[in-house]
Amino acid sequence: MNALEYIATLLQTGLGSLTAYLAAHVLLCLLPAFFIAGALSALIPKEAITKYLGRDAPKWISYPASALGGFVLAVCSCTIMPLFASIHRKGAGLGPAITFLFVGPAVNILAISLTGVQIGMDIALARIVLSIVFGIGIGLLMAWFFRQDDEANNAATNGGGAFAREDKVPGRTWVFFALLLGVLIAGTLQVGLLTRSYATFTLPGSWAGSFQAWLDSVVPPNLALGIEGVSIHGVFLIGLLILIAVAAWLGLNKVDEGFNAWTYVALGLITLTLVAASFKIVAGEQGLNVGITGKLIAEVVIIAAVWWMAARRFEPYDIQEWLWEMWRFVKQIIPLLVVGVFLAGMARALIPATWIETLTGRNTVWANLAGVLFGVFMYFPTLVEVPIAQTFLSLGMHRGVLLAYLLADPELSLQSILVTNTVIGRKKTAVYVVLVTIFSTLSGLIFGWFIR
Amino acid sequence: MEIKILGGGCPKCERLERLAREAAGELGVEAAFTKVKDMDGIMAYDVTSTPALVINEEVKSASRIPRKQEIVEWIRAAQSA
Repeated sequence: MNALEYIATLLQTGLGSLTAYLAAHVLLCLLPAFFIAGALSALIPKEAITKYLGRDAPKWISYPASALGGFVLAVCSCTIMPLFASIHRKGAGLGPAITFLFVGPAVNILAISLTGVQIGMDIALARIVLSIVFGIGIGLLMAWFFRQDDEANNAATNGGGAFAREDKVPGRTWVFFALLLGVLIAGTLQVGLLTRSYATFTLPGSWAGSFQAWLDSVVPPNLALGIEGVSIHGVFLIGLLILIAVAAWLGLNKVDEGFNAWTYVALGLITLTLVAASFKIVAGEQGLNVGITGKLIAEVVIIAAVWWMAARRFEPYDIQEWLWEMWRFVKQIIPLLVVGVFLAGMARALIPATWIETLTGRNTVWANLAGVLFGVFMYFPTLVEVPIAQTFLSLGMHRGVLLAYLLADPELSLQSILVTNTVIGRKKTAVYVVLVTIFSTLSGLIFGWFIR
Repeated sequence: MEIKILGGGCPKCERLERLAREAAGELGVEAAFTKVKDMDGIMAYDVTSTPALVINEEVKSASRIPRKQEIVEWIRAAQSA
């Protein structure tokens, strides 16, 4: 193979991953997840969580609250470090602060739902449960190691009023969250009730078969490398995504100042896309076979309820805030994700599978440690760790090792170690890093035993 | 009048600053704007998370973006105080 052909193959693999990713994964998983992340950020007052982290709160409340707080609050990396610092200096002390720091980046709604859809529900669940368990464990251990320092810190800093402020989350907000979660779950859960087609019809036309054949030649599916290829349905959805991007740019950039016509166009297109993605469409000899799935019915009902609540039960200002936060996440994360998926796709053709298999193909201590170290030294932006992990999986990485990598990557990076260093000092940071390394390696190993 | 924006330079802080500048502009108030980005500077005020708005050394809002109308009221109150 000459150099030119090689580069063409690389680009083709990268592009293949990207289109398959956009068509199959982004829609029903990431679109709702961005709306949920935006709502968490805009509609939940932080005081609703931080009031449980004050110094007077008992341990059995403050540790779980820290873990849960990470889930609810840490959707934006620019708020987690000040929160960590203030919990440490004015709040409950070192332990809960560490728990918060550990659980926050790993357990956020975007990362978990993407992991579940792209890699598997087993890994996603293990990621949540182990992060919370080990987050609390590491927090307790740190508090015990440095109990004397902590008492000194307690004495030196005044309690302050920062954690005394209370705020309540109104009932309608909880209902709204339940509905948004419903959109996500109905779209991604793989159960017969939702995936079965209850009625089918055929859009006639012989073009469907030949168009699909052409797509398969441009983006050839390669199951050995985990490359799925693109369907006609997928092309249609990618087209809609591009329209959404244009409309959202015009309609959501300044949504904090009010709605304009483009805002409604963008929201309408997003609704249409979620509904269109829920059909089951397969190209056949006679034309396109379209299936009305359980998913479709569920999505239509739930999305209608979301629209109704947004229009009738919330103040326009709340909805503006929600959409603004959502769009901010999209602008922050999607470009990184697109580049990351493209590069991770190219890496599939570049890295010889034998390397990954020899190094991490079996569930051993060394393989798990290798997974953790890779996570520490390679810094991938939020969520990009998921397509990277999928590349490893298709190249033969063991699922246990994969979990070790997925636990370590968001927790520990050279960058986060440096910032932690400035808040709690070198000695504590070193202990924290060692503990996270040990715990991540162990959890990969244990998970690997279970799924054998 | 002295207006401080506490926060590490994320989009929220920029939006808060824009709103505060607009609010001051609407009232025709001369205000000195400062951005406090370092952790110690932020922690000196009793806030749990950013962005936060400080007018004449008093924390007016923290961990949320207030409406422009609220900021206008605070500036007016600070002016008459």
